[in-house]
Amino acid sequence: MVCVSNIDRSLEKIDIMKLLLFLMAFIVITFSIVFLMIIPNVKEHRVLQTEHKRVLVHKTRVENLYLEREAELSRLKIENDAVIKAFKHAFTQEEFIAYAGTFFTDVRLTQVTKSDYKKEFVEYELNVTSTLKTPTNFYSFLEGLNRYSSIVQADFPIHLESGKDSITSTFKLKVYDLNATR
Amino acid sequence: MKYSFIKPREKNFLSLFSKIWVVFISLMVLFMLAFNFYIVIEAKFFKQGVVELVSQREELESRIDHDDEDIGIILRQKALSEEIFSNNTLLKESMKNLFDLVPDQITLKKVQMERNSLVLYGVAPTQDTFNFLLAAPLKSIFHTSNTTFYLTSEGWYNFVSINKILGMDGMRE
Repeated sequence: MVCVSNIDRSLEKIDIMKLLLFLMAFIVITFSIVFLMIIPNVKEHRVLQTEHKRVLVHKTRVENLYLEREAELSRLKIENDAVIKAFKHAFTQEEFIAYAGTFFTDVRLTQVTKSDYKKEFVEYELNVTSTLKTPTNFYSFLEGLNRYSSIVQADFPIHLESGKDSITSTFKLKVYDLNATR
Repeated sequence: MKYSFIKPREKNFLSLFSKIWVVFISLMVLFMLAFNFYIVIEAKFFKQGVVELVSQREELESRIDHDDEDIGIILRQKALSEEIFSNNTLLKESMKNLFDLVPDQITLKKVQMERNSLVLYGVAPTQDTFNFLLAAPLKSIFHTSNTTFYLTSEGWYNFVSINKILGMDGMRE
């Protein structure tokens, strides 16, 4: 009989007051968690999610722009490889005299000025005095100038004077280098 | 000493009904806290992600600026080299044109080419040879063209022809 007396009959005879109290407790606890924690956190979550999405879109756009720039830069580098190398190549009088020696005899260079040119270039002006056999040598020299290892320009004044069996030429040569200080 | 005939019933601190409620409420609280925890953690990840993305974007922007600068340098080099190459080519062409212009009868002794002028010294058999064969084409190129002749002991004519282009264009033809 002892075991029968131990049976819990609380489910068979539900105490209305207890039920109401538990229900009240449940509602209060649930509402306080929902209103005090979950709703503010969900709001913050939503704001941060929107912000994250916005920042991600912005970053993706910038990334695409960067990839475009990189592609453009490498395309330009490949296309203008010779020019870039020529600007980087330091001009030396010895090298130029050796080059000019294939067209002229007795080449002499005198440096006149050195000045900044445009934004990042330096312009050297040199006077070239040389002797040549025929004017054709001068054309060939000018034609080859565009393929020279530095960026050089032959310029006015050009003086040609014929001697006994050769022509003496004097002209201005402008050399462009990248400004080393930049 | 005993006052009751029956043995006292062992009573649980919480009835089954209360236990069910307590377990239910605890489970619900646990579930809500877990959900809240998930939301907070995810929000934290978003926050970190935003900071990372912003720094990545700034890094990319600085790289873009660097690339733009490099592109600018290359474009300026390209423009300058094209200008120089075309000047060299034009100079070559203008020299070639000048020597093509001079007929076999006339010998040039000295040529002085400036940006806006051309001075020719030479020898011609007659004044007319010079005027017809060289002066006419020179006049069509230059704005002003003056020639002075000196008779040599061999009966030929030394000439000095001064030709000028007015304006800024210079001699590039």
